[in-house]
Amino acid sequence: MRNRLDLLGLCALLAVVLIAYQRLDPTLLHPSTITILSAQFLPLILAAAGQTIVMLTGGIDLSLGAVLSLGMAVFVIYPPDAPGGVVAAMALALAVTMLAGAANGVLVAYAGLPPIIVTLAASFLWGGVTLIVLPQPGGHVPEGLVRAYNFGWYGLALPAVAIGVALGLWKLIKTTHFGLALYAVGGNEHGAYANGIDTRRVKIYAYGFAGLFTGLAGIGLAIQTGSGDPTIGVPYTLNSIAVAVLGGISFFGGVGQMRGTLLGALLLGLLTNLLLFTGISTFYQMILQGVVLIVAVAVKTLATRKAVA
Amino acid sequence: MTRMTRRALIASAALGALLGTAACNVDQGNTTASPAGATGGASSAPPKALKVGWSTIYLAPSWMQQTLRMLEEDVAKLKAEGKVASYETFNANGDTSQQIAQIQAMITQKYDVILVDAGSSTALNPVMEKAVAAGIVVANFDSLVTSEKVIRVGTDQVEWGRMTAQWLADKLGGKGEIIAMNGPAGVSVSEERWKGAEEVFKKYPDIKIAANVHSEYNLAPAAQAFASAYSAHPSITGVFSQGGALSAAALQTLVKQDKKLVPITGENYNGFLKLWADKRKDGFSSIATAQPNYLSVIALRAAVAKAAGTAVPSTITVPLPKITDENLDQYVKPDQPDDSYPIQPIPQSEIDKLLGA
Repeated sequence: MRNRLDLLGLCALLAVVLIAYQRLDPTLLHPSTITILSAQFLPLILAAAGQTIVMLTGGIDLSLGAVLSLGMAVFVIYPPDAPGGVVAAMALALAVTMLAGAANGVLVAYAGLPPIIVTLAASFLWGGVTLIVLPQPGGHVPEGLVRAYNFGWYGLALPAVAIGVALGLWKLIKTTHFGLALYAVGGNEHGAYANGIDTRRVKIYAYGFAGLFTGLAGIGLAIQTGSGDPTIGVPYTLNSIAVAVLGGISFFGGVGQMRGTLLGALLLGLLTNLLLFTGISTFYQMILQGVVLIVAVAVKTLATRKAVA
Repeated sequence: MTRMTRRALIASAALGALLGTAACNVDQGNTTASPAGATGGASSAPPKALKVGWSTIYLAPSWMQQTLRMLEEDVAKLKAEGKVASYETFNANGDTSQQIAQIQAMITQKYDVILVDAGSSTALNPVMEKAVAAGIVVANFDSLVTSEKVIRVGTDQVEWGRMTAQWLADKLGGKGEIIAMNGPAGVSVSEERWKGAEEVFKKYPDIKIAANVHSEYNLAPAAQAFASAYSAHPSITGVFSQGGALSAAALQTLVKQDKKLVPITGENYNGFLKLWADKRKDGFSSIATAQPNYLSVIALRAAVAKAAGTAVPSTITVPLPKITDENLDQYVKPDQPDDSYPIQPIPQSEIDKLLGA
């Protein structure tokens, strides 16, 4: 019931933003604009999905941006004429980012280290590895893929479809034993353990899946920009946390829905664009982003607080 | 339940109000054209006044602030001439994805000219080329992209290294021992400047590079890096430095330790220029160059010319200024903070020459 309310509030807010947006850009609902916007938002939505999974375990992933760049770098340096071509490049990139995620999970679950420290250290580590893989911006992404992604494919908004597929994948994952256990572990780890859930394995899986979504975000960004850039992922770390918080994902684990994250990403993305249209100074934009986040968290906290008799 | 709903509604209403106030708080002095739909229908009439925007990866550093001031001054001139209708700055604050969104927003809003100081040499190519395909003139300056479909205005960083290294080699009479102070490894600007310098030093087998130090373009880390290299090689006769903060760090170290002031190459970082002017009487000698702020003005002028149908070269390499012992006084600004980059304005005739007029 509560979750529904959170989402309702977000939906109402999104409606306000959409109406304002429609007034400034009357082409909002045209297929071409939907392609443009989904192409722009895909990396952030998928990165935030990864961050959400980690936050559901009660952790936080500060290495997300570095791993995103790493996935991007691996994807663009795989030679296009090598066996498997672009599909093999994607598979390789995703394997690398999943392993990077799972490595975080192992350190958190087995060494008992705080996620914030583990992932901070990992961000430096993978940042260095990425620079070895791809010392400067470049690499190769098939031209046709870049065009199909950015301009649509026979009128189809390809990035929007990709977002749908990725979130559908998460829905499937959530129905598995792991999906149920994830919320249990995030909500009450000791209780989950007492009920016979292998909490360590759940955590490693969660971080691994987060790596998968982060890798998808990196591939999306590579296709959007037609190249790889070893340092482009850094801002995604904090942006993904902001989006997840806005979407109602709790820092304490076990609370929140991926739907909320999606709404949060759309809200933040549209809001940023809206501010670009109004020509308001960027320094004000940053202030406004901060205010929106604080208000979102405050509202959530107030709404969940029990009424005092 | 009802109370909850009310809360959610109140919250969204509050945020909606916030948005409303923000949207009204538009920058002063900008004539924002009516959103979308205002198409340039003026044929055969004099060219219409242009809607210009600048997307930059950073706006906070002092070099960028100076660039912005110079650009705004030039925009004011062009507005007076009726060539520019409105001007807007977009700051991506280090986020290249945000820069893509900015350029896309400018395309949606039918800007006529988009200026770009790029956060990535490759990642902006698709969106910039999309702007070009939509009939927008795109001019990129300072931090350049690899796309050949946009106007690019920059300096030759290899020549930067070559020119300053040549001065040092001549100063040392072709023999001696030097420390090289370079920027961070893997940064293209740093690599290019060193490439140019190496070319020169290869011609002088009697010049020995005692140490090659990499540090950030910042005073504190550079001072540390230089001090440790210098303590290992106290007998050096010169320093090749590829950045103003690095030069200032080296010179400060020599002054502090009361050592012989050997020649050090430099940049128009005011902190270094002040120290140089101060120590000139003690026999300190240097040469400095600059990444001129007026790159932005040249890019703007090139874009405005192109939008009016004039042919302009697609790659414009702006000559590097030369600051020497003789003309130092024209540059150094004793009353300005260390963290500023004094530069002489570029005469219009020079700009016209670069634009091939």
